[in-house]
Amino acid sequence: MTRARPMLLTAALAALLAGGAIAAAASPADTIAARQANFKKMGGAMKALKEELAGGADKAKLLAAARTLAATAKLQGGLFPAGTGPSSGVKTDALPAIWAQKPAFDAAAAKLVTEADKLAGIAGSGNAAAVLAQFKAVGGACAACHKQFRAED
Amino acid sequence: MSTGEETVKVWDPFVRVFHWSLITLFGIAWWSGENQDMERHRQAGYAIFALVVFRLFWGFAGSRTARFAQFLKGPGGVMAYLRTHDGETPSDGHNPLGGWSVAVLLAVILTITLAGLFAVDVDGIESGPLADWVSFDSGRVAAEWHETVFKAALAVIGLHILAIGYYQVLNAHDLIGPMITGKRSRGKGETTVDVKWSPVMALAGIAGVGALTWAVMTGFRFG
Repeated sequence: MTRARPMLLTAALAALLAGGAIAAAASPADTIAARQANFKKMGGAMKALKEELAGGADKAKLLAAARTLAATAKLQGGLFPAGTGPSSGVKTDALPAIWAQKPAFDAAAAKLVTEADKLAGIAGSGNAAAVLAQFKAVGGACAACHKQFRAED
Repeated sequence: MSTGEETVKVWDPFVRVFHWSLITLFGIAWWSGENQDMERHRQAGYAIFALVVFRLFWGFAGSRTARFAQFLKGPGGVMAYLRTHDGETPSDGHNPLGGWSVAVLLAVILTITLAGLFAVDVDGIESGPLADWVSFDSGRVAAEWHETVFKAALAVIGLHILAIGYYQVLNAHDLIGPMITGKRSRGKGETTVDVKWSPVMALAGIAGVGALTWAVMTGFRFG
């Protein structure tokens, strides 16, 4: 038993190092690809929400899309490490302003998480007017951040 | 040059209204698109869709000079025109080179319009009326086409304007006036006759295009 502790420590240390190595191995290209995939997932969820709100307003579909949106939104803030802007040489619409004005960007990312959480909270309620209003609030969060931090098409 | 006393009708009213409406609507669509006024952008797009589809129909059912068969010539015809045209002898309608310019203009504007019907913006919020038939990713591809072909259209329109300027200024050959009035002066000894068009065909075209445009606006989801 006395030898177990150092072994455990070693194992824990090794795991940490390995984790660190994996994190360090995520190249700018991988990070950019990951966040772009997430943005597409959120865009798809927004499109699904919009179509449901314009048509059937199916509660289960609204809830599923809103949950995807909220869960994905939480991942995005962490996918903008330094060195993953246009200077990385990888094609990205992320503007250098993200890193020049990091607190404002982080606030915009947090705003999306807040609004998306609110939407996920009411998406299954059956109150279409409230869901629509909150959908627009989420859209506003997307648009405000894109205006400031994303290159125009 | 003729004294202008004797004129011949070369463009039917539908060709002329199509031409000037398209310019106006293209401007509205451009402006509203740049300013994210998407409701107006969609409406301008529906009107452009209706105009272009009607023009395609009119290319088969319209007056003599409106018909594709009359103004789309093979490479030989175009080369012969380039070798022999003196800049003064007027063509009956589009000349063999201008005819292809019309075809290319119609093709690019139709492509932009069709892509726009399926386009989705980056936030998944604004979209064309048929976007709910395709995935978000396909909608984004449509939006990229919409943008890219729009830029190509600006180039083709620029070329179109330069060509008209060439005839208008360097050849003193008025092309703009006839596109407004429908008439141009007859060349010396020219026997070209006035264009004629069928009101029945025009009504049928308007009805068909109206129904199709309405279906597109509702996303082909009825009731």
